[in-house]
Amino acid sequence: MIQMFSISKTYPSRITVLSDLHLEIQAGEFVFVAGPSGSGKSTLLRILFGAEKPSSGEVIVNGIRLTRPGFKKIHRLRRTMGIISPDFKLLENRNVMENVAFPLEVKGHAPNEIEGKVSGALRRVGLQQREKDSILSLSAGEKQQVVVARALVDDPQLLLADEPTGVLDNRMTEEMMEIFSELHQKGTTIVFATQDTSLVQRYPHRMIPLSAGGRGVVEQSEGV
Amino acid sequence: MLSFLGYAMRRTFRNMRGNLFPNLTAIATIGISLLIFSSFSLIAFNLASLLKVWEEKFEAIAYLKRGISLDEVEELLKRIRQLDGVETVNYISPFDAMAFMEERLGGQKNLLEGIQPAILPSSIEIRLKKDYWGRTKIEEIVSGLEGVPQIEEIQYGQEWIETFSVIVKLARVTQWILGGLLLAAIIFIISNTLQLTISSRKEEIEAMQMSGASPAFIQIPYYMEGFFQGLLGACMAAGLLFLLYQVVLVAITPLMKGWLAGIPILFLPWETIARILLGGMVLGLFGSFLASMRFLRYGR
Ligand SMILES: Nc1ncnc2c1ncn2[C@@H]1O[C@H](COP(=O)(O)OP(=O)(O)OP(=O)(O)O)[C@@H](O)[C@H]1O
Ligand SMILES: [Mg+2]
Repeated sequence: MIQMFSISKTYPSRITVLSDLHLEIQAGEFVFVAGPSGSGKSTLLRILFGAEKPSSGEVIVNGIRLTRPGFKKIHRLRRTMGIISPDFKLLENRNVMENVAFPLEVKGHAPNEIEGKVSGALRRVGLQQREKDSILSLSAGEKQQVVVARALVDDPQLLLADEPTGVLDNRMTEEMMEIFSELHQKGTTIVFATQDTSLVQRYPHRMIPLSAGGRGVVEQSEGV
Repeated sequence: MLSFLGYAMRRTFRNMRGNLFPNLTAIATIGISLLIFSSFSLIAFNLASLLKVWEEKFEAIAYLKRGISLDEVEELLKRIRQLDGVETVNYISPFDAMAFMEERLGGQKNLLEGIQPAILPSSIEIRLKKDYWGRTKIEEIVSGLEGVPQIEEIQYGQEWIETFSVIVKLARVTQWILGGLLLAAIIFIISNTLQLTISSRKEEIEAMQMSGASPAFIQIPYYMEGFFQGLLGACMAAGLLFLLYQVVLVAITPLMKGWLAGIPILFLPWETIARILLGGMVLGLFGSFLASMRFLRYGR
């Protein structure tokens, strides 16, 4: 599903975030990307959904080579992905339902299909009662639930989640992990970036550790 | 496809309503710019059609010496008729000339009271075939007739027409220079208004890009917005131009007396109006294209 060969990323500010990173993630895998703040977790995910270009190396996602010179089909790539990222904000002038429906609308799905998928996704995150509410009326945790609902509304093959549980309390984190496990069981490939080491320890998935200072991958451990 | 167009339309109108004031300003500015341009077109068009009318009357007049017998006139007419390129030849007697002057002077013909037709010269009006219009041919004919003893003087309107056609050319050149400047201004205005709309929709555009909307899907409402601004501006220009034209007709026509009264003031032909509307649309599209190139790129 994902292959990265010798990826390096140096920002114009000369901060080297990733250096010579090799990575392969199989279809259907659940992978944690873990590391302290500033270690490049978000950078790695942004490279995977095409928001950032690596400084060198090759990236292939779902058979699409993102590092091909002149690559212009980022939207093709994103259509098959669910993305949870600070880059993908909720629209405050739309209600809960409209926000979840947004990616489907943009992709041109039929209205009745959109309705079914949206209510399914909202039920999954437990927000079906709030579908008509304004985004502004939600708590941070509830907003995050909307973000998750939006990411999984179109049954993505690949889910890229950048700290999806960052603002959640323990109970909500458990619920969220439950949802992710369900998705994983149904065959979705999940890349989950987090700095919460206890989370990584509690769930038996492969972890890709990143270390601060651009030293890249230290080792690849197979779960706990 | 249809539902996509409907969706794009809805987004376009929502965007335009959301930035109503900048949009109206843009439309008004485009309208005024195009109005200036098309006013010049209208003036140039009228001058040019006037020129054509005069060119059609292209002729030389040979004034005859006094006291020539009718036989001599007959002889001369025959001779001129045989010249290469001559279409018609008319003898104008002093009485004809008198009648013609009376007609031209209209209400002021009492000026002619007491004047005997006999003091007016008789003349021959020589009209050229269409293929022979132009300086060289008329000069050939004129120089051919210059040696004829019965002819006092030959006049032809060439010089005057040439001066006038320079004026027409000047009007056209001004029209296009002005047009070029206004064109740049219009593109600038449209592109900037769109920049405003785009930045007010920044979050939505980002969300679309994150959802995998195709670039065309994202851009089309902005193209449509530019298109509508251009079209509405051009419609406004055409409407105002027509109003202006009516005002000129009402205000100026009664002032045109004598031979001026015969000059028609024309409105631009519908093809030109269509071209102005089309121009507005193309400019709008181009402006929005520029804006989207600058502000709607899929970021990486
Ligand atoms: N656009 C950018 N320009 C310059 N430097 C950047 C940019 N984005 C990130 N960085 C730098 O790269 C480093 C890694 O950032 P990144 O956001 O990938 O870390 P992270 O692991 O996601 O951290 P966190 O856990 O705090 O979210 C940081 O030092 C950051 O300052
Ligand atoms: Mg981060």
